[in-house]
Amino acid sequence: MTVHAFHIFDRKGKTLFTKRYSSIVKNQPVQDAELLSEQRKLIFGMLFSLRELVGSLTPEGESPALHSVRTGAGTLHCYETISGLRMALYTNNNPNMGSNARNLDTSKTSFQNALKHIYSELWVDCVVRSPLYRPGDIQVDGNGNDVGRFDIRSTNFEKKLDAYLASMPWFR
Amino acid sequence: MGFLHLFIVNKSGGLILHRPLGQSAPRIGTNEWLRIGSTFHSLHAIAAEASPVKLPGNKNSAGADDGIEEIRGGGLILKCLQTRTGVKFVITAEPGTSDLDAVLREIYVLYSDCALV
Repeated sequence: MTVHAFHIFDRKGKTLFTKRYSSIVKNQPVQDAELLSEQRKLIFGMLFSLRELVGSLTPEGESPALHSVRTGAGTLHCYETISGLRMALYTNNNPNMGSNARNLDTSKTSFQNALKHIYSELWVDCVVRSPLYRPGDIQVDGNGNDVGRFDIRSTNFEKKLDAYLASMPWFR
Repeated sequence: MGFLHLFIVNKSGGLILHRPLGQSAPRIGTNEWLRIGSTFHSLHAIAAEASPVKLPGNKNSAGADDGIEEIRGGGLILKCLQTRTGVKFVITAEPGTSDLDAVLREIYVLYSDCALV
């Protein structure tokens, strides 16, 4: 299973972090900054509307939440915190989790656990708790470069994120 | 392990059919259904557009336009079958319900046999 991209959005739809991974994505025809930024807005809008849709279709007594969206090209795994921070992870569709096919159902929950871990152990520890961080200071331009007052590169977040994703059995 | 709702959307996003399939299906009014149908129609296409990787020609293996095939949420699974002509068959069910793909295919066959004269 390959990870294609990873995005973090705040409540208002602003991109806080974005990274593209697999070579399939990097070899796609070069997209300029404007297009990538537009694509991210599209992703945020889609996540927002999908959550409303799922909310109206979910039976009483269940908490509405969006876990994953699958298309022919790939799967989008989402995790939303109570504060409205949304994380979106794009992977491909084949769960090559080894010989145990019964794990298919739990493989989806393992993405939720992974995203939850990325939020609570990596994002909160590296970014939010950084002494230089103030909410609202992060700004990412079209190419995914930080232009705000707070630079994510001053924290370990990206390195730890890469290490964590590489340790997952489904990352290649 | 039960079905919740079935709805069918035509190629322009208009709702053809909606019906509850089980006891635990939330009651949703007709206006709300029309809204859900058209919202799903647009999101189906946007999901393929927003993905970092796209299929060649944007067509999936069945020859239909790529788009949302499955949505998993807390307490809900939604599956969609898009035909080559753009009609979408969408079924929602509680998590753990099996064979939703086969059910959708059967519904497609029944629809084309009975509803399309």
